[in-house]
Amino acid sequence: MNVLTVMLNAGASLAAASSGALTLGSSGGASFWMPERASTVSADVDWVFNLITWVSIFFFVLILVLTVYFAVKYRRTEGRGAEPSPSHHTPLELTWTIIPLIIVIIIFYMGMKGYIDLRTSPANAYEINVTAKRWDWTFQHSNGCTQYDELFVPLGRPVVLKMMSDDVLHSLYIPAFRVKQDVVPGRITTLWFEATRPGIYNLFCAEYCGTEHSQMVAVVHVLPEEEFQARLQHCAQWINLVPEESLHLAGARLFSQCVSCHSLDGSRGIGPSFRETHELWGKEREFADGSRRIVDENYILDSLNNPGGEIVKGYANQMSSFRTMDDKRKRALAEFIKRLDEFELDANGRLIVPPLPTPQTPEGGQ
Amino acid sequence: MSTIHSHSSAETNYLTHSRGFLSWALTLDHKRIGVMYLVSVLLSFFFGGLFALVVRTQLIFPGMDLLTRDQYNQVFTLHGAIMVFLVIIPSVPAALGNFILPIMLGAKDVAFPRLNLMSYYLWLFGAAFFLLALFMGGIDTGWTFYTPYSTDADKGSQFAGVIPALTGVFILGFSSIFTGMNFIVTIHRMRPPGMTWFRMPLFLWATYATAVIQVLATPVLAITLGLLAMERAFGIGIFNPALGGDPVLYQHFFWFYSHPAVYIMILPAMGIISELISVHSHKHIFGYKFIAFSSIAIAIFGFLVWGHHMFTSGQSELITVIFSAITFSVSIPSAIKVFNWLATLYKGSISLNTPMLYALSFMIIFSIGGLTGLHLGTLATDIHLHDTYFVVAHFHYVMMGSALLAMIGGLHHWWPKITGKMYNETLGRIGAIGVFIGFNLTFFPQFIMGSHGMPRRYHDYSGVGWLPEMTQLYAPYHFWSSVGSYVMALAFFLTAGYLIHSIFRGRPAPANPWGGRSLEWQCSSPPPHNNFDEAPTVGDCYDYSVLEWDEAQQGYRWRPDVPRPGAGGANPYKH
Repeated sequence: MNVLTVMLNAGASLAAASSGALTLGSSGGASFWMPERASTVSADVDWVFNLITWVSIFFFVLILVLTVYFAVKYRRTEGRGAEPSPSHHTPLELTWTIIPLIIVIIIFYMGMKGYIDLRTSPANAYEINVTAKRWDWTFQHSNGCTQYDELFVPLGRPVVLKMMSDDVLHSLYIPAFRVKQDVVPGRITTLWFEATRPGIYNLFCAEYCGTEHSQMVAVVHVLPEEEFQARLQHCAQWINLVPEESLHLAGARLFSQCVSCHSLDGSRGIGPSFRETHELWGKEREFADGSRRIVDENYILDSLNNPGGEIVKGYANQMSSFRTMDDKRKRALAEFIKRLDEFELDANGRLIVPPLPTPQTPEGGQ
Repeated sequence: MSTIHSHSSAETNYLTHSRGFLSWALTLDHKRIGVMYLVSVLLSFFFGGLFALVVRTQLIFPGMDLLTRDQYNQVFTLHGAIMVFLVIIPSVPAALGNFILPIMLGAKDVAFPRLNLMSYYLWLFGAAFFLLALFMGGIDTGWTFYTPYSTDADKGSQFAGVIPALTGVFILGFSSIFTGMNFIVTIHRMRPPGMTWFRMPLFLWATYATAVIQVLATPVLAITLGLLAMERAFGIGIFNPALGGDPVLYQHFFWFYSHPAVYIMILPAMGIISELISVHSHKHIFGYKFIAFSSIAIAIFGFLVWGHHMFTSGQSELITVIFSAITFSVSIPSAIKVFNWLATLYKGSISLNTPMLYALSFMIIFSIGGLTGLHLGTLATDIHLHDTYFVVAHFHYVMMGSALLAMIGGLHHWWPKITGKMYNETLGRIGAIGVFIGFNLTFFPQFIMGSHGMPRRYHDYSGVGWLPEMTQLYAPYHFWSSVGSYVMALAFFLTAGYLIHSIFRGRPAPANPWGGRSLEWQCSSPPPHNNFDEAPTVGDCYDYSVLEWDEAQQGYRWRPDVPRPGAGGANPYKH
């Protein structure tokens, strides 16, 4: 994005912001302060936010106007000293102690009520297991569908996320839903929401977790129930429908889980580039402990199951295990690396993922 | 009184009292130690500020690659750690406080001058460990050192600077504890006759409350960081769940210090503002006791609210609600101070000098910083706002716009006293207004992008997985925020320029250029080596009716027709 575009956008957004300020609290879409609302709690959270904001604006304007007015009206001029006025006035001081006290008690109560709603999940909620690891989100549905950095949720049905971390602290945050919860290694934390608007929304990692923290971003798809079920089924089963000779194409689709650490163009990332691994196919690779091994399918499978077992020379032990991934997916990835020279990158260096040869009908099943 | 100026300039002052490097390096004079702190802190501020500019430049457009992701993480960590531990915490108490506190109190020095010098060397030593951390590979943990990222070299930070940086913070902690102890004893034991508790200037009340926090809270940080260093070095398993520890425990320990530390930063700043507003309005401070006690109240409540940094951490819901409730109690004493300052302005005679412009900026900026604290103390909204730029904006409004700008305002207020020179007032006003504009342009957009969900500590706001509309949403706010930081930097360079210029070319300062009544304005500028030859007697330090403008001195003097308190032999200024 060049300077000019950003400045134009800036101008447009300021214009939008000033018109948005007038419609503070309009329903559905974004306001001056808040992003679009897409969950049942969004409106309540925004209501409390707006209440506090208006209280703040009132007091801020009061303080600003009085400060400026006094500074101008009572500015020091020739021959005019301070006028006599009391240096304390207990009833007045008690007034500006007690009024703010009452206001903050009300604000506290509103916030507590909203918080209890945010933390109390309905009994019939749909459960999704979430694993956070540097720097990817894994979402596992009960039908076996596992997705990386992509979350399907049903519209109008409460969803509970049961979250665990494989390494350090993370935090799952969906601005449009107004929900956030830290993901803590060694315990399970939960978060619930009920999406109210179909669409796609960003999901961020909000707790600093190292190098690729700003890329630990996922996409949430809010889908009507029927479409949700269809996509879920397809997600669980598409890999089974891929014929063995097209496994490398399936691997290309799975590559999105690897992209934050492994490049395809040979550039150095958190881990070695797959280009390099591809070029070493059938040849020996040297590891940090001095040992060597031929790069083949078994090497890829071992690296997925036990990444710390053989660390490529010059790299650190940073990868989490993919032990729970099913075998066909692992073989697909190995096949993808082996046949990497059949794929092309776009102008931005991103992989062009070719379509699978046999058209898949999502509802098809087995 | 009219003879004092010429009288004292004929004799030596603390700057000319002795000469040579060792006369500074081994000095026990609180004023010289204060000046050494001041130079060191301002130098650190320069580097912390440079890092901030690098951070803002990386973020000016989406997809910038000025820095790699790892470099960015190291730069924001250094910016935060330097600004918190090397700049803001020591800025007012150790730098300005060391210089002003004993004179304001009417004492010849602090209670333990050797300990005071040791505090300074501990500061230098701690700062040296920060440099060592840089040379040993850097740190990228954020200034908060959250576990298990900071303790697990395999799964967390790969950088070897973590332990040196922890050691540095540990040592700086002792520097801070010793300064606090020194101030507590000084205020208890070294008040001259007549300086009762309720005659002390409010800056001293604020510094006293700060010192209590420094002494009680900092040891907890030392223990916590000690455990952290041992965990990283020996894997003892306190905080790392892989070793049976609990990362949330670390957050409790850390914020038990670091929340009160916020008040170590803001309380002395509020003390400065109480002085600045009253002196430059030439009017008695309004509600002295409410302001004094609100400092103590903030110090006490400040110990009970650490859990509000952890609303989303996984701590229990009950404790979260309790912490939210107590958090609101801190807002009340802060509100009292702001209203009392407003009432002080009312019917005053307000000189819009540079220090006063900083004080008025403080009123406005602190109001925004304080009021947005309500959004963050409130549970329902904090869940959404936590760890976004809304929090970044909030604490910069409080830590930078309030604490640090109050320090800069105080620096201008006491500059004539410290250096004996006047700076260029016009440039001073331009600088103050430039800083105010640049500051708000930098940080106000951050509230808006934060409430729209922009997470903090992000190297970029585009890339794989980013929806283009989100990138477009945040881009203009980032752009204006970066532009604001450049405006602020220019204003600070201007400020540094005219202040340094004044040391060499400035007009000699009168004893009392602003019309202050507290004791430091009654000794010459710069003060003599011993501050006071006899114990001074004290009146109401906010009663300005006894002063009048003296055209010859270009400063204020005691009205000849008004007897001094304890007039007669007790007058310390009559030789």
